[in-house]
Amino acid sequence: MVATSSNRSSPLDPALRKVRLGWVLVTVGIYTVLAPFGYAGLWLLCLLWRRDPPRRARRLQTITSRAYRLMHGWLTLTRVLSFRWRDVAAQLPAGPCIVIANHPTLVDVTAVTAALGGAISIVKPGLYRRAMIRPLLVGLGHVEGPGADPIRAGRVVDDIVDRLSWGVPVVIFPEGTRSPPGGLAPFGRVAFEAARRAGVPLVSLGIRCEPLYLSKEVAPYRPPHPMPELTVEVISVDHPDKSSESRALRDQAAQRYSVWL
Amino acid sequence: MSEEQLASRIKEIIVETLALEDVEPASIETDAPLFGEGLGLDSIDALELALAFHKEFGVRTQENDENNRQYYYSVGSLVKFITEKQAEAATSEA
Repeated sequence: MVATSSNRSSPLDPALRKVRLGWVLVTVGIYTVLAPFGYAGLWLLCLLWRRDPPRRARRLQTITSRAYRLMHGWLTLTRVLSFRWRDVAAQLPAGPCIVIANHPTLVDVTAVTAALGGAISIVKPGLYRRAMIRPLLVGLGHVEGPGADPIRAGRVVDDIVDRLSWGVPVVIFPEGTRSPPGGLAPFGRVAFEAARRAGVPLVSLGIRCEPLYLSKEVAPYRPPHPMPELTVEVISVDHPDKSSESRALRDQAAQRYSVWL
Repeated sequence: MSEEQLASRIKEIIVETLALEDVEPASIETDAPLFGEGLGLDSIDALELALAFHKEFGVRTQENDENNRQYYYSVGSLVKFITEKQAEAATSEA
């Protein structure tokens, strides 16, 4: 499922841009009002099932993915950003898997979580350790990233392998940062090392946003025209085993994304 | 072992452990960054190197040591780190 967008211009374009900007501002306003309640609700839910972290993560991930579907449905309805996800989860292999994806926009995490029905991911240490957010991230099963310490990758890989038994896909952005426009940043090897060690399938997702929106280069208050379309598709499913070499897996995946882009 | 010999041995370990087929140990600059830029190693490479250095020199780092990034910055910083750790070990044995 690959989106196409029309580049034909029309006299209505300036007005349509303003309408889209208006809906962006409405959306931000609604988020500002409702987000504290949402976070508070999730905070309270994190107090439940504390003795069973996998079960807690599965339930909270289900709730979160439905909230993200609602959010993306709203953005599609208001023509701020179109997103459709129906076929992606059906293409995942049965059982645990690691999902990798490129990272062109700010909403890739919400989009992939909505598409997969839940996603455990790696969170930068600076965010993971914030007192108000940490309980939510722990409750959802997210993994603290290695940050600048090169030695901590071992613990990250161990945590990812542990999460694979929790029944929620583990999603990793191998670039570790937002993708440059139309391209890729260098891939790290944590995802490939974890897939190799655990012997689980490695699913490559391609995320595209055309025209580009909500990236480092295009701010939220500059919605492009025509309406941007965010698509997520399965590029490939690999089956590494313990004898696979993570460097080779990484290079193969990077090459595949380069061709796809 | 002199610092120069230690630096040479570290470079050999880097190439052998990480199977860098196109890299000659002598071509690795002692003070060039190992991660990101320079040699372009990543965090999994760091783990493999940590294990190799532990086997070869008997030194190891702790996961949450705030100086890890500094120790592994370059071959030169690794020389300094290993020399200090070995001196500490020798002092505590004495």
